[in-house]
Amino acid sequence: MISTRRAVAVRPTSFPMNQDSANPTSSARSLPGRVFDFFSGFGLATTLLLLLGVLTWLATLEQVDRGLYDTLNKYFDWKAWYLFPEIDGRTIYFPLPGGYWVCALLLLNLTLGGVIRARKGWKHAGVLISHFGILIMLVAGGVTQHFSERGHLEVGEGETADTAEDYFEHVVEVAEIKNGQPTAIHEIRGEWLIDLQGDKRRLFRLPNLPFDLQLTRYESNAMPVAATERAPAQSEPVVDGYFLMSRPAEKDAEANTAACYARVLHRDGTSGGAFILAAASFQPFTVRHDGRVFTVDMKKHLWPMPFKVRLDKFTAEFHPGTNRAKRYESEIARIENGKEARSIISMNAPMRYEGLTFFQAKFGPPGAGPGEKLYSVFEVVRNPGDQWPKYSLYIVSFGLGLHFLLKLIFFFTARSRYEHRS
Amino acid sequence: MRRPALLLFMALGPLVSCREKPAEVTISETRPLTTKDVAPKLDATSDQRFRDAKPSPVQGETPVGWLKLPATQMRLLNYRFGESGLGEVWVSISSGSVLDNVNRWFGQFDAEKLDAEGLAKLRRIPFAGMEGVWVEADGDYAGGMGAPARTGYSLAGVVAIDPHGRILTVKMVGPKAEVAATKGVLEAFARDLRFTE
Repeated sequence: MISTRRAVAVRPTSFPMNQDSANPTSSARSLPGRVFDFFSGFGLATTLLLLLGVLTWLATLEQVDRGLYDTLNKYFDWKAWYLFPEIDGRTIYFPLPGGYWVCALLLLNLTLGGVIRARKGWKHAGVLISHFGILIMLVAGGVTQHFSERGHLEVGEGETADTAEDYFEHVVEVAEIKNGQPTAIHEIRGEWLIDLQGDKRRLFRLPNLPFDLQLTRYESNAMPVAATERAPAQSEPVVDGYFLMSRPAEKDAEANTAACYARVLHRDGTSGGAFILAAASFQPFTVRHDGRVFTVDMKKHLWPMPFKVRLDKFTAEFHPGTNRAKRYESEIARIENGKEARSIISMNAPMRYEGLTFFQAKFGPPGAGPGEKLYSVFEVVRNPGDQWPKYSLYIVSFGLGLHFLLKLIFFFTARSRYEHRS
Repeated sequence: MRRPALLLFMALGPLVSCREKPAEVTISETRPLTTKDVAPKLDATSDQRFRDAKPSPVQGETPVGWLKLPATQMRLLNYRFGESGLGEVWVSISSGSVLDNVNRWFGQFDAEKLDAEGLAKLRRIPFAGMEGVWVEADGDYAGGMGAPARTGYSLAGVVAIDPHGRILTVKMVGPKAEVAATKGVLEAFARDLRFTE
């Protein structure tokens, strides 16, 4: 932040009380005034920026062992008010504030100190514009945290896809099967599952279906294991010969497979036997009720796209003698309302359409040989603040450019005035 | 003023984070069908739901003196060897990296874990048409989930990344003398493994 705030307003927070006699303004400040001074102070801004630097540095080190997703959640999720960093696997018992809240405080600080309290006038326009640009950047971070969705869409050459799959969120789906095909798929979102640890259970009322569902013992990474092949380690319930074996979180959080125990509760008060729902399962669980057939399954949240994507051609170019991609791109057709529009998505050139951004994420299969059929994987992002950081950078650059230009003009004006006088 | 503000900030955290969710939730929304919604197999048994019905992607010739056992969920190929009947060899597909798996094995013997530099120094052997990292360890083996450690054990094995980017492992665990006598057979077995997919 550029220091052009009124010096008189900063002083009270940084000077000891016994100097108040020398500063009548400070002693006259009311409590709200002092609170305002604190939250708009340059000292707070400096502290917050230093904290952000430290958090970013520690998170960068920690993600090597912990994995990117977990580390981002630990350091920058809004639920993380404070955290204890780890260095080389050792916990440092020194609490640090969560990055989200540091940014939130910085937003408040910058609004109060860098815009409301800062000097106004055309001489300071550049600084104000720059502060405004930084505010947009901070707001963009909050918007991304709360309103963005991310998933991946996989499509083979010559094939068409219309659904992205969430990277991390596991859901429970209940579908009625008619003529062998699923219809009316009810989805229990992950936010209702993740807290069902241990014996905690939750009843899910399904008013459109003839039964309800009770879920418990959710594990974020577990697999069903036959009790005949491995004994349960901690008296986990064994259901139809299988139990859920908990596994440590994968470093690559996408690879986690969640699981839980479930039970069907019929409307007449009877209940079915317990069964296991697992993202690692190959088939769903079947429920039959009065001649109707339903399936219950755990899988990653599916995200239908408003259009279809057909991969016409995938091209990859590798660094010589390696299987590391130098450049790869997908030629796609976007199909919507029977009309086709062609587009090319490559590593640094995403496709933006209808609020969605398609990034070229990866391709497969790994180690594919010449002539083997390839597929392309796009990261699909819906983020209302997608372009805001770019706009923010433009605004900050413009503001700083203007500020330095004005300074230069003032310098030359003052010098010519001085020369004129002398 | 700063100290109370900090304490208030830290105290509010758990309060906000621990909001209790209701014990009952009504789900009435449905999502549209997609191309990913295919006809499911109905009335699947637990074995059908939880076991991969596909045959093992790797196959090998059973060495003389080894006993081939049925595959399990975690063992694509499964063998017993040695006079004691305690020696085990199995082929698995695992998650993580080569280093993660090598260190997991070392951890089962309470051996010092390696870094990337240490991994690079391990011997390489031919493994199913690839090159694998040869791993050995001795001591008390605590590989079972909560099972007591077995003393006087050895481990020999190979870890590699297969052409599909997966981690393929062959692991031999058993009484030290029996593993020492069979390591050569294991190396030949690993070399001759072949992919069927």
